[in-house]
Amino acid sequence: MKDLIAYIAKALVDKPEEVIVTEIEGEQTSVIELKVAKEDLGKVIGKQGRTARAMRTILSAASTKINKRSVLEIIE
Amino acid sequence: MRTYEFEGKTTENAIEEACRTLNLSRDEMEVEVIEPGSAGIFGLVGGRKAKIRVSVPDEEESSPETVLAGAGPSAEAETEEMEFVRDVLQNILDRIPMKTSVTAERVDGRISLNIEGDSSGLLIGRKGKTLDALQFIVNKIANKALEKKVHVIIDSENYRQRRKDSLIQLALRLGEKARRIQKPVTTGPLNPHDRRIVHLALRDEPDLDTRSRGEGIMKRVVILPRRSS
Repeated sequence: MKDLIAYIAKALVDKPEEVIVTEIEGEQTSVIELKVAKEDLGKVIGKQGRTARAMRTILSAASTKINKRSVLEIIE
Repeated sequence: MRTYEFEGKTTENAIEEACRTLNLSRDEMEVEVIEPGSAGIFGLVGGRKAKIRVSVPDEEESSPETVLAGAGPSAEAETEEMEFVRDVLQNILDRIPMKTSVTAERVDGRISLNIEGDSSGLLIGRKGKTLDALQFIVNKIANKALEKKVHVIIDSENYRQRRKDSLIQLALRLGEKARRIQKPVTTGPLNPHDRRIVHLALRDEPDLDTRSRGEGIMKRVVILPRRSS
């Protein structure tokens, strides 16, 4: 799951080397924290949060496959 | 080469408008998306019009042979583009624990990607939600990485065609009803792409009119019987 978000985020931003993804695994739900360079924040969120929403949709489809739930948090 | 600019609610609308104004078919012109346009959140705030630039070859070079010859040098670049976009989607899918493979082809100047694999139902999502999310992300990545604007369509198990067929059936059925009761009939809420399919399905019915009504996510198509005079 971590790799999935890291790949997408790195492809979207101008500074891929500053993309940090951490996964906090819980029993059922894991929280995935995405951190990007300040200038790139808008790129991973998108207009009206559209990019963030699309990433969450893909993430939840991927998690369903392994019978888990994942939450994506974008850290400022 | 002459170029024109068009605006529309969606790029699709803008292209349609271009076809109508220039009296040309979609294949006879080159379309470049300047602004993809967006409905904004629920279409309430931040909605922006899509803007496209259309290039039309001059009359004398519009014969099929010359167009084909002209496509020669760029064919390689197009294949490269297609490969790149295919790899982006494959890379994303490889990070989801599912076995999938992606094939790519070019349809009407767009790149069409097809996902094959187990549990594609999950990848399609409710009403194609996951498919649309993948499509949005891949378009975004491709248009950042490539110099030329590309339009990518992602499909699995022929979902787009099945959805289109069922919408056309629905349109025809509602059209029939409107005709019978001589009153307007309304569809459920539809996204712009789906509304377009309904409009187009009934375009050739001389006694029916279609109109979009409502705002944003609740936008529907109203089918009106036209007074026969």
